[in-house]
Amino acid sequence: MLNELLFRFASWLDTFQSSTDLHESLYMYSWVESAHVLTLMLFLGMLLVIDLRLLGVAFRNIPASKIVERLDKPMMIGFIVMVISGALLFYAIPVRSTQSIWFRIKVVLLIAAGVNAFLIRKMTRSSAMKAWDNDPVPPKRIRVGAALSLGLWTLVIGAGRSMAYDWWDCTKELPYFMYWAAGCVNEMAAFEQ
Amino acid sequence: MDVVFFFQWLDASMLAEFSKSSSGIFAVVQTIHIASMVVLGGMLLLGDLRMLNVVLSDVPSSLVIENTKKWIYLALVFIILSGIYEASAIAMKLAYNSFFFAKMAGLSMGIVFILSLRSAVYRRAPGLVYPEGSSQTLSQSDTLRPWIVKLVAVTNLLIWFGVASSGRWIGFS
Repeated sequence: MLNELLFRFASWLDTFQSSTDLHESLYMYSWVESAHVLTLMLFLGMLLVIDLRLLGVAFRNIPASKIVERLDKPMMIGFIVMVISGALLFYAIPVRSTQSIWFRIKVVLLIAAGVNAFLIRKMTRSSAMKAWDNDPVPPKRIRVGAALSLGLWTLVIGAGRSMAYDWWDCTKELPYFMYWAAGCVNEMAAFEQ
Repeated sequence: MDVVFFFQWLDASMLAEFSKSSSGIFAVVQTIHIASMVVLGGMLLLGDLRMLNVVLSDVPSSLVIENTKKWIYLALVFIILSGIYEASAIAMKLAYNSFFFAKMAGLSMGIVFILSLRSAVYRRAPGLVYPEGSSQTLSQSDTLRPWIVKLVAVTNLLIWFGVASSGRWIGFS
């Protein structure tokens, strides 16, 4: 049901001429993709500094609140550019992206990383932070959150990178489960006949 | 100078044989390459933006730079090792790719720049880039003019932006 809805939505996006134009443009698609990859350094670079401080392995002599608060703005600027460029990349190739197992894994990881970031944000914005702000090594729950954040974002990079490969594309001969997981609606129907 | 022989040697090496045999491992190495790029880019950005007084302007710049150093070196090691692995799989394609040579020239320039000029200039950054009243402020005679420090920061950002974008364009060409 969800697979069909997603497929219909992607097929509808695919009918727009601007989607085809963006995908087939000589330079624009490459520029958008480059912006998406290069902004990683701003968004994830700042996030890395925050997470390393919250893990207690770097910037230990700088109060954690300073790192968290001051790097929030550049990090969010990077995040916004990544979301816009990511949406454009999806818009350029909507059907293949929707039916990519790696894209689906990436979305699930992004949601998990988002929930984790929300929880870390809550813990680092509370008044309880004053108790450990200057400690070189923050409390265990903060360190666990920071380690999870680093791990999840590394997996997001890996899933994003793997989207370029056609290992489990719908056009390949795959087990039914893989067709279902990737949302290969037509192939699933052919399998059932 | 004709360097095609080097790429021919790399293409015939055992490393190339291995890297061409598994696209799964190749994708993992690509992920390591990008993740290391995030570490390097993030740490360089932090240091340079600090020197431009854009972020952490109330934290002594020496503290920021000191903390980023080992991560920069560590990231460079991973970038170079994973880069050699990636290059071995497409050695003959790279031998005739101008973006690859642009990236290598930029990378060499960037490494020399951060080890020499950037490091030397940031060590002698003036009071402006330290918080007021900090005990770490150098005396006037030992410091450089703020515009020199900022020029080095902007130059460094431009060099590494060039390296990363030419690297990305290897894939498109």
